[in-house]
Amino acid sequence: MASLPKRIIKETERLVSDPVPGITAIPHEENLRYFQVTVEGPEQSPYENGVFNLELFLPDDYPMEAPKVRFLTKIYHPNIDRLGRICLDVLKNNWSPALQIRTVLLSVQALLASPNPNDPLANDVAEEWLQNEDNAIAKAREWTNMYASKQ
Amino acid sequence: MSTYEEEHNTNRAGAGQDARRDLRSQIHDMYQENGTSNLLLQLLSQIIPESLQEELLQDQKEGCPEHFVDSLPRVNQSKLSDEESCSICCCNYKEDKYPLVVELPHCSHRFDLECVAVWLSKSTSCPLCRDDVLSHKPKIDVSTVEVEDDWGMYG
Repeated sequence: MASLPKRIIKETERLVSDPVPGITAIPHEENLRYFQVTVEGPEQSPYENGVFNLELFLPDDYPMEAPKVRFLTKIYHPNIDRLGRICLDVLKNNWSPALQIRTVLLSVQALLASPNPNDPLANDVAEEWLQNEDNAIAKAREWTNMYASKQ
Repeated sequence: MSTYEEEHNTNRAGAGQDARRDLRSQIHDMYQENGTSNLLLQLLSQIIPESLQEELLQDQKEGCPEHFVDSLPRVNQSKLSDEESCSICCCNYKEDKYPLVVELPHCSHRFDLECVAVWLSKSTSCPLCRDDVLSHKPKIDVSTVEVEDDWGMYG
């Protein structure tokens, strides 16, 4: 395996020694570019009390290229599709090499706190969100209990 | 007995294929006639899915010209603090015996030249504040320049 850039080693160390509240990221034993991630649903959001599993992969060009992040836990959210793909600017056009794994995961957590149905990835969810927000929020809460409840 | 085509209603699919063939020959004709016309691009964009088009556009995104990166002002080692590190590689500048650090115009954010050169080859924004580094005209400081008629050659 090619050697791991110093930056990735430093980031990994800091994720362990100084973790972000409500977020864990653990590198895979055999591939230190692949992380198993958990993100807690923000308080006062429909995802509250939920713990969501994600996977994060650092491509060869990282940090010139954004990490690839995907939800593994099913989630009802207008900017996350059924394959777990996330519509988030910092993962696409707004990536900058000064961002890090921790800042990206904080942005993902912030996206849970403020869904944006006007820039949808999951069209059916976004439509429901715009037409009947109360219903959509109830459904998001239901899915959180069903698929993301703490063990 | 009904034919396979009737049972499986493949006529429709056949019609779809014809339409695609039409589109292809249309494009072929146009390409022969006038290279790239707007109409041709329009037809092409019908075939290429939107998500892919976005990716293609992103790949084309141009960075800064090489001479711009080469001309970035270097930061003298004596002006670097012991704690200062490059936000791209996360390494302390002074870990390197001869650090090559540059400063971006206007926002003055500092990076290892080696690190920021890679980023600026495909982007024009400062990694730290997203300032468009090409949007500022370089200012030439003339206040301290002494005009010497003989260029100091005979002094």
